[in-house]
Amino acid sequence: MKFLCLECNTAMEFKETTTPDQGSLTAIFECPDCFAEFAMHMNPWETQMLKSLNVQLGGRSEAAQPMEMVQSFLSQKNPNNLTSEAPVGSTEDGGKCPFASAVTEAFQEQEPTGPVWTPEALERLERVPSFVRSMAKASIEEFARENGHPEITTEVMDTARGNFGM
Amino acid sequence: MKTYKDLPADGGSNIVGQVTQQVNRLQQRLASVRHTVAIMSGKGGVGKSSVTANLASVLGLRGHNVGVIDADINGPSIAKMMGVRGQRIDYGDDGVKPAISPLGVKVMSMDLFLKDDETPVLWESQTQKDAFTWRGTMEMSALREFLSDTEWGSLDYLLIDLPPGTDRLPNLVDLLPNLGGTVVVTIPSGVSQLVVKKSLTMAKKLLNAPVIGIVENMAAYVCADCGKTEELFPSGNTEEMASQFEVSLLGKIPFDPRISIAADEGSVFVDQYRDTPAGQTFFSITDEIRMFFESQI
Repeated sequence: MKFLCLECNTAMEFKETTTPDQGSLTAIFECPDCFAEFAMHMNPWETQMLKSLNVQLGGRSEAAQPMEMVQSFLSQKNPNNLTSEAPVGSTEDGGKCPFASAVTEAFQEQEPTGPVWTPEALERLERVPSFVRSMAKASIEEFARENGHPEITTEVMDTARGNFGM
Repeated sequence: MKTYKDLPADGGSNIVGQVTQQVNRLQQRLASVRHTVAIMSGKGGVGKSSVTANLASVLGLRGHNVGVIDADINGPSIAKMMGVRGQRIDYGDDGVKPAISPLGVKVMSMDLFLKDDETPVLWESQTQKDAFTWRGTMEMSALREFLSDTEWGSLDYLLIDLPPGTDRLPNLVDLLPNLGGTVVVTIPSGVSQLVVKKSLTMAKKLLNAPVIGIVENMAAYVCADCGKTEELFPSGNTEEMASQFEVSLLGKIPFDPRISIAADEGSVFVDQYRDTPAGQTFFSITDEIRMFFESQI
């Protein structure tokens, strides 16, 4: 899809995506001439289709990891496989993915050490949809730190969930 | 007002570029594969995966470098049949290292990624409602990743075990424009052949690749005690079907319960029982396939 600013007759440029909301994704485009912005809301099926193709709005700053789509979206994975660091490369076009980098940056700001996850809690975390999993993990870790839990168990997850009003 | 073609790009996402990059990655990976063969059948339950596993093993026994992809994303069985189930797979320098069968055949299957025996292939989504709109795309993306992200190395043969049905064939054409050929598996029943004919028509119409031939599986039953041969499915006529579609009948594999036992055990039938009628037929079919490609050089 391409977007045109009717006022300026200029191709609009991708600016950013916002955090997914109930499976839908919002992409914001901006006219480089008049700086008018508009938001495109994609319904959950369109968002899912984008994921199915393993492409990213805004482009990629790094080449896709091997088996990235399978690893990201398969619901219940074998925990013994693909445990080492994945080889990464860079894209030829040097594109960027504001959504991916925004999430990454958000978690780089977290403290490097945190409470320890029990295997049961990790297993439960695996069931959280991948695109919100990192965010959920960070929120629960923050909750555990603030409330003095050195270990994140499924009970701590339940408490955190109640605390978040979910 | 400018039209779609007047606008130079999509605003920065470069979706076409990202897809092109996926295609390039696939082509680079398959550049070191000499022959890619799809094993297909319109009908389920004809023993397609079992035939694939044994043909791959014979090719391995003949000294070839062989890989197998289980393209049956939702019903993977190749990993078990080839004795690689439970093998740990991990990243290498240039992708994911495949599982290796006892005969050195490289295997990639969704089975290797699933948590346990009971776990089906479910994709994460906000809702599974109306999943038909995107599930097929997910499955083809998974197959593309199996092809392009596995460290196959140099292969003489890459066998692709397709799921039942004709619907995946058009997608395979997009993924594998340089497919070397297809092998169609049937059993000698009228019902099976009714469905298999549709696959043959689809393969001949859609694929640039030739149909190498038909394999008739479960052709007859040889009594283990007296050696007498009895027909299992007397209603079909595979010779007639091969003649109608002008393709070779590569061989008729007699029913042998030890094929099923070997598959369940993850051992290799053709290695253990190469001198049985079924074992010999697997070898002769494999040699037909090898000759097919050698004659093209």
